[in-house]
Amino acid sequence: MGLAEPAALPVATSAAPRLHVLKRFLGRFKASLPAYLLLLPSLVFLALFTYGAMGRVLIDALYQRATPKAPVRFVGLDNIAAVLADPAFTGAVVNNLVYAIGTAIPSIGLALLFALALSRTNAVSSALRAALFLPVLIPMVAASALFLFIFLPNVGLLDYYIGRLLPVVPNWLGDPDIALTAIMVITIWKNAGYYMLFFLAGLQAVPEDVMEAAHLDGAGPFMRLRYIILPELKPTFLFVIVIATLNAVTQVDHVFVMTKGGPSNSTNLVLFYIYQQAVEHYDIGKASAATLLTLAALMGLTALSFRTMANREGGA
Amino acid sequence: MLFTRRLMLGLAMAGSMAGALAVPAMAEGPTEIDLFFPVPVDGKLARDMGTLIKEFNETHPAIKATAVYTGSYDDTLIKTRASIKAGKPPAAVIMSANFLLDMQIENELTNLDGLIAADGTTKDQFLGQFFPALQGNAVINRSVYGVPFHNSTPLLYINADKAKEAGLDPNKPPQTWAELTDWAKKLTKREGDKVTQWGIAIPCAYDYCGWMIETLTMTNGGRYYNEEFGGEVYYDTPSMLGALTWWNDLVYKHKVHAPGATPGPAVSTSFISGNAAMMMLSTGSLTYVRDNAKFNYKVAFIPRNVRNAVPIGGASLIVPAGVEADKQKAAWTLIKWMTSPEKSAWWSRATGYFAPNMAAYKTPDMVEFLNKNPDAKTAVEQLDVAKPWFATYKTVPVRKTLEDEVMLVLNGKKQPKEALVAAQKAADETLKPYNAETSLKLP
Repeated sequence: MGLAEPAALPVATSAAPRLHVLKRFLGRFKASLPAYLLLLPSLVFLALFTYGAMGRVLIDALYQRATPKAPVRFVGLDNIAAVLADPAFTGAVVNNLVYAIGTAIPSIGLALLFALALSRTNAVSSALRAALFLPVLIPMVAASALFLFIFLPNVGLLDYYIGRLLPVVPNWLGDPDIALTAIMVITIWKNAGYYMLFFLAGLQAVPEDVMEAAHLDGAGPFMRLRYIILPELKPTFLFVIVIATLNAVTQVDHVFVMTKGGPSNSTNLVLFYIYQQAVEHYDIGKASAATLLTLAALMGLTALSFRTMANREGGA
Repeated sequence: MLFTRRLMLGLAMAGSMAGALAVPAMAEGPTEIDLFFPVPVDGKLARDMGTLIKEFNETHPAIKATAVYTGSYDDTLIKTRASIKAGKPPAAVIMSANFLLDMQIENELTNLDGLIAADGTTKDQFLGQFFPALQGNAVINRSVYGVPFHNSTPLLYINADKAKEAGLDPNKPPQTWAELTDWAKKLTKREGDKVTQWGIAIPCAYDYCGWMIETLTMTNGGRYYNEEFGGEVYYDTPSMLGALTWWNDLVYKHKVHAPGATPGPAVSTSFISGNAAMMMLSTGSLTYVRDNAKFNYKVAFIPRNVRNAVPIGGASLIVPAGVEADKQKAAWTLIKWMTSPEKSAWWSRATGYFAPNMAAYKTPDMVEFLNKNPDAKTAVEQLDVAKPWFATYKTVPVRKTLEDEVMLVLNGKKQPKEALVAAQKAADETLKPYNAETSLKLP
């Protein structure tokens, strides 16, 4: 496109600029050839395993079988319309929104709190940091299996201690009103330590001299937090929010292990819905359509966040 | 074909070129086949499967079988379907028995009639080896598509010590719903409003929940689904309404069953820890209970309201579509060997499933085992009243529509009748495309 444009313009000396552009392009290409060559191996694998797969999803989303024995045929956007009309999908989207907000805010809040409390390095804070980071090291599937036992009604660890205080012992994973909250608690437990790392790194970047100046001006700890630390942490916040949102959509291991989206779809998240469509319903068209919708939402969100981040950094 | 396949395999495994080229030179070597197997219960099964396949390879030098662990029943279906699509299906798979119909509808199974005929036996002779209850899930449109490998039925487990404590005779277990309700009431212990011991626990998680409501519906005289045709289920019926209402009553009227949906492992843990005095669970859990219960227990038939009847569960051996002839033959040899009386009996003792081959129970080792463990006998006796397992077009989602509604009932969010109406409607919707092609495709 960039090559063709100048030629299409009604310029008097048509040949010269064209040649010029071509030359410049070739020159640039030559200069960056080693870079492209170095990138080639990863590009090949990206094309094979990422872009190839995405292209395939795009194609699959446009085809559907009318009846089980009928051949697949092109249906355009019908699959996307069918997904949007599916109450299970809208339910999963709502669950996912609740899950995203309900996990991102508490885990980021906790992470900030931990980071502020443990920002000075000494033996105690190092040990506490390690302890808070421990859940990150446990694979989600293993953690889910552990929590499955903790949440066992009547006999699990949780009921063994807390159950004594409550008049009726809740069925943590078996009650549609509680199950999603139980799943969210695990996510917060698992992620808060991870986000804490980012905030710890962010706190290192708060300039010493500004803090000292604030000290001399008599700003108390809250003033310093409100007017210096938090503004300085803005990029970290944005980054962690993006990560937390992506996690809320892409991490469903615990749903898979603990509830399979139940009871009564109360813990069904978008990614698990896609799995159900592909595997249980064996409906590749609908699964691909739902994947496309999710990808589009995630890409939009990421682009928006990074643009905001860039603007802020540029503006500052 | 063989050459390229092996070459590809050699390359894919990052083996040396020399190695890959050396393979076709020994083309007369053993036929190599893969067997996909799931582990639905616990990890010990994988080791037992290794032992079994090793013995097969030692006794059959012309075949080299490799057992490939493929996760749960559901995972095994996914991996089998993926390998069929990739054009490299395994020669044999141990497949959850109620997935066979759906796979047959999708043209993913090899019809085994030809292999049976090649052996010089008839279908009736071949199927005659297995318990009649198991044939429904193996035969589709009068053709054999699966060979029963390990199977189960639901059982009533009773904590005999607690029954005695409550003045009940564990040697005369409850036989009807009325008796069971009475037992459960006597076995429930309360401190004020709080229940410290539940009378009965019935599992309800995806998969198990469908099996249990099917069990209750069957003992209430119902059919649950059309055994002959994959396009119909019978959810909104008096037999199922009675079954679900009784389950609901156990929770909310008699208060002898914990509210909410409780998965199978939670139910067995609850029983083992003494928190539930009775439970309904698969015969597949019998070995687990035998090894872990620190009290005397009894097993009994699932009590009836109208008749004694239970669905089967478990898995069959299948040959996926698209397996080459020589591999089909090798797979068939493996399948016949694995389902022979001796191997069937050995697998049954190792796992706790019952052996589908009736002759297995006449082998000396099995006779001795049953004398030592009479509880295993109850499971076999119940087979006389067992019926096929729920299987329709798109079995899993059709079953899930019902399970979601049952979970709402057990959580006190819906009444049985409205739940069943909703489940029926959702199931009919899922079955629509299949009916459009079959029952509603008119001349």
